[in-house]
Amino acid sequence: MGILSYLQSSILSKIVMAVTGAMLVGYIVIHTAGNLLIYSGQDAINSYSQFLHSLGPVLWIARIVLLLALILHIWTSIVLKVSSNEAKPEKYAVKNYFKAKLTSRTMLWTGVAVFLFVVYHVSHLTLHITNPEHVVNQMYLPHGLHLSSAASALSYERTDVYRMVILGFQNPLISLVYMIAVTIVGFHLNHAVQSMFQTLGLNHPKYFPTIQKSSVALSFIIIFCLISIPISVLLKLIGGNL
Amino acid sequence: MNLDAKIPSGQIKDKWDKYRFDMKLINAANKRKYKILVVGTGLAGASAAASMAELGYQVEAFTYADSPRRAHSIAAQGGINAAKNYTNDGDSVWRLFYDTVKGGDFRAREANVYRLAQVSNSIIDQCVAQGVPFAREYGGLLDNRSFGGAQVSRTFYARGQTGQQLLLGAYSALSRQIGKKAVTQHLRKEMLDVVIIDGYARGIITRDLVTGKIESHWGDAVVLATGGYGNVFYLSTNAQACNVTATYRAYKKGAAFANPCYTQIHPTCIPVSGDHQSKLTLMSESLRNDGRIWVPKKQNDKRAPSQIPEDERDYYLERKYPSFGNLSPRDISSRAAKEACDDGRGISSTGYGVYLDFEDAINRLGKNVIEERYGNLFEMYERITGDNPYETPMMIYPASHYTMGGLWVDYNLMSTIPGLHVIGEANFSDHGANRLGASALMQGLGDGYFVLPYTIGHFLATNKLEKVSTDHPEFKKAESDANQKIHKLLNINGKKTPSEFHRELGKTMWDLCGMGRNEERLKKALEIIPQIRSEFWENLTITGVNEDYNIVLEKALRVADFLEFAEVLVWDALERDESCGAHFREEHQYPDGEAMRDDEKFCHVAAWEYQGDSTKPIRHVEPLVFEDVKLAVRSYK
Amino acid sequence: MKLKLHVWRQKYGKSKGYFEQHDVDYVSEDMSFLEMLDVLNEKLLKSAKEPIAFDHDCREGICGCCSLTINGNPHGPEKATTTCQLHMRKFKDGETVYIEPFRAKAFPVIKDLVVDRTSLDTIIQSGGFISVNTNQPQDANALPVDKKQADLAMDAASCIGCGACVASCPNSAAMLFVSAKVSHMGLLPQGQPERKKRVLAMVNTMDAEGFGTCRNFYECEAACPKEISVRFIARMNRDFLKASLSKED
Repeated sequence: MGILSYLQSSILSKIVMAVTGAMLVGYIVIHTAGNLLIYSGQDAINSYSQFLHSLGPVLWIARIVLLLALILHIWTSIVLKVSSNEAKPEKYAVKNYFKAKLTSRTMLWTGVAVFLFVVYHVSHLTLHITNPEHVVNQMYLPHGLHLSSAASALSYERTDVYRMVILGFQNPLISLVYMIAVTIVGFHLNHAVQSMFQTLGLNHPKYFPTIQKSSVALSFIIIFCLISIPISVLLKLIGGNL
Repeated sequence: MNLDAKIPSGQIKDKWDKYRFDMKLINAANKRKYKILVVGTGLAGASAAASMAELGYQVEAFTYADSPRRAHSIAAQGGINAAKNYTNDGDSVWRLFYDTVKGGDFRAREANVYRLAQVSNSIIDQCVAQGVPFAREYGGLLDNRSFGGAQVSRTFYARGQTGQQLLLGAYSALSRQIGKKAVTQHLRKEMLDVVIIDGYARGIITRDLVTGKIESHWGDAVVLATGGYGNVFYLSTNAQACNVTATYRAYKKGAAFANPCYTQIHPTCIPVSGDHQSKLTLMSESLRNDGRIWVPKKQNDKRAPSQIPEDERDYYLERKYPSFGNLSPRDISSRAAKEACDDGRGISSTGYGVYLDFEDAINRLGKNVIEERYGNLFEMYERITGDNPYETPMMIYPASHYTMGGLWVDYNLMSTIPGLHVIGEANFSDHGANRLGASALMQGLGDGYFVLPYTIGHFLATNKLEKVSTDHPEFKKAESDANQKIHKLLNINGKKTPSEFHRELGKTMWDLCGMGRNEERLKKALEIIPQIRSEFWENLTITGVNEDYNIVLEKALRVADFLEFAEVLVWDALERDESCGAHFREEHQYPDGEAMRDDEKFCHVAAWEYQGDSTKPIRHVEPLVFEDVKLAVRSYK
Repeated sequence: MKLKLHVWRQKYGKSKGYFEQHDVDYVSEDMSFLEMLDVLNEKLLKSAKEPIAFDHDCREGICGCCSLTINGNPHGPEKATTTCQLHMRKFKDGETVYIEPFRAKAFPVIKDLVVDRTSLDTIIQSGGFISVNTNQPQDANALPVDKKQADLAMDAASCIGCGACVASCPNSAAMLFVSAKVSHMGLLPQGQPERKKRVLAMVNTMDAEGFGTCRNFYECEAACPKEISVRFIARMNRDFLKASLSKED
């Protein structure tokens, strides 16, 4: 049993869901903020990407932690779903909900969809498997260097994230999948964030309504920010030069 | 029959202390050798079972419900009395004792009532320690409110759910013992008989309501905590399953039934709306503080209340009892409502209802104040009736509520059958002819926590009991009697349902032996009841078999006992040729309608001894001696 | 008023259940839902058919016996109301009404609409009490309790143990029920000595009894006839986490 024995306890399982969820939400927020750098131009986002890669082991630790969080989050949710199904072996012929919202009832399915998207997204932009033709290197000038030493310019190359994103989103199908996917992410977060506070016991009449509203607001902000990128690309507001 | 109450000698205030000292004890290690069967898990049963298990006895607790927490004690709203004198308004054990004896119209046993008042304070301490969330003041200390029949504020309460909270307290204590395996619980099992061996109550017969199995259970003592018999009127504020079977079966096995005619009718219930009605819902008496009760002056006035002008309304309580008006005592208010309706001036579609009107209060105090005071009650009323009491007057009518009568018990709470103890509403002991508000909870818990656990030890220590087992012929005989009765019921194959017979009986009892009684009507009841009963045994229909969750059979078994018991109740009402408390004989009243007691002839407990199915039972008498309270006309003027 | 009833019938716990249709035309709006079924039962009995079994007792909304899932909602469509206090005026003439038992693995059907809810008692028996024997206590006023805390404890204590929270929860979680008892006692000074032990024991028993896991749908709060707040669940989660992190075995 060991570390997975928490799965025996309904509340501990929930707490694992909440804590891993919190980590993933944190990641999404940072990731979204980073993505918005695309509006600052090619150099800004490519430098940001380069900065992240320069972190080396730290980046890998973050990646491993996030991956573990994701695995625990998914695994726990599957175990919980199975046990919940067992707890209600016979379903109602008619069911009417008062408070359970579409977003809360579909957490598992939105979660599955998000997971599939993440796999695709990573294959596309991190592992460069699906559309390798989008991957091009960019030459750049590090600070303090001048064009005069052009001979050495070739050695200053980095992944052109900017171009990769623009080329990707110029494909309407990829844009469409992306927009649907981030909407689903937003759906998931809509319930997830306030649920996380409830599970961790942070529900007080004074501040919980604010948490609930913030949860919804956050999900909309994330959707808005992320959807804006493919739209801007399709409308040629950015990346028109490529 | 020997009705020795075994009241200890000495001054009333020392009796209980002295008695506790005189009682024989059982060594702690020996207690586990005794097994006690407790039937019923309401306030009295749960508290007794838990307390006795804590002492070390083996306890088995029986309930017909699916959980001990369902017992009808849970429905008590108002509160529980105690002589704490936290409000510094002059309360004392003596005053609580006096108020209770007087409230009971001097028909209760002094020593028992005094003991109840004495233990009342410990009950509150016990409940608070268990986590009962009583109402508190801002300083963090317990709040009290006033209740009927007392001039001091001594009622502890938990919103309008005091009974629920006290029962959950007792239930949690019981659950703790069940968890420790010190109490074995038997759920959904209904007691059908008590088994007597060598003159002692040594066990019970139960029917498993799910499987129909008839089972025997032996014990060294049996405790009945099975509540009252208010459902003899069919419609009452009692729960649907409340029944007389356990106490009536014990009566048939030789326990005397005391004062069955003392039945309390509560004045403010939501009236019957049609034949489908299964239950009457109590509306707190506190409503009468601001509501005015009236009926139209004209007979059969079908106008809407708002169409009836002020001078065509009869505020009959204010007219008849100007000093107390709408706050007249329960029994007087109930009877006055019945008189108005019998006179053809009742309201509602059935003609059995009176208005409780808040219009004046709303005009005087504003809707907000009324909402603050009675908001939840108004909501409940609207939920049930669909009428909005802020706009149209409430309709109310009296309903059977509590039964003061019960199995006769001595000072030890033991019936006339050795070993058979009776506690809570099931016994007759403390309320005399009328119970005061907030006293039922006190008595149930007093008996269960603080009296029975002591006295039962004395019984066990002073009686040499042979070992018995459920193989004993008496168990086999009782089992076969129960089986035969069930077999007989299942094979009548008639046309009428148990509920129809119950309704018929209830109507007879309500009309002929209800709020106002007289010789002529009581005698008529004695003619009708046997007729209903014989039709029952010829024309009853039951579907299904015994070996099943058979709700019809379950009901039929209960109705069968009500049909026999009702007659005892009527005999008692007929032979108690006086008015006292809730027992109102129209032949005996003062001009103002107050009950006229006859202390010369009836200052006693009447205890009925079973003599066979078709023979009138024998009425025994336990004289009531009042040494510390002077007999007086009960007056609240 | 006429109604088309689809009533769940199940002979024994293990037998297969089915819906039985009854077209009833006698319904008066003054009837309670259970009285409507009473009348149907009388009619069934009169025609030698077996009446429908359902749990009920006090019929004033406090004992917690009555159950029934009515058109997909435990205790029916009206908020803060038990089935016994639900009146037929809340239904429309001609309406189709599905009546099912409270469904959960921890509430096996006994017959028709009657289910076994003793699993809730088992949870209480494992720790839902304050260990105090009769006659040990000190004076009731020896320990003042903040009125607000006492009122909050009373909010939690008003649970009637009907199990509607479990029935309404798509996961059959008993969190609202358990948290109400844990909070009631955890909020009072009398409940402090056993606070950690209580929450651990009750939650473990809850898990062992086959209830599902809370997913914060809050259907329980909506179904609760006493409107017990899901904030008590958060409170229990907090208590449970604290107790789990600091328990000494």
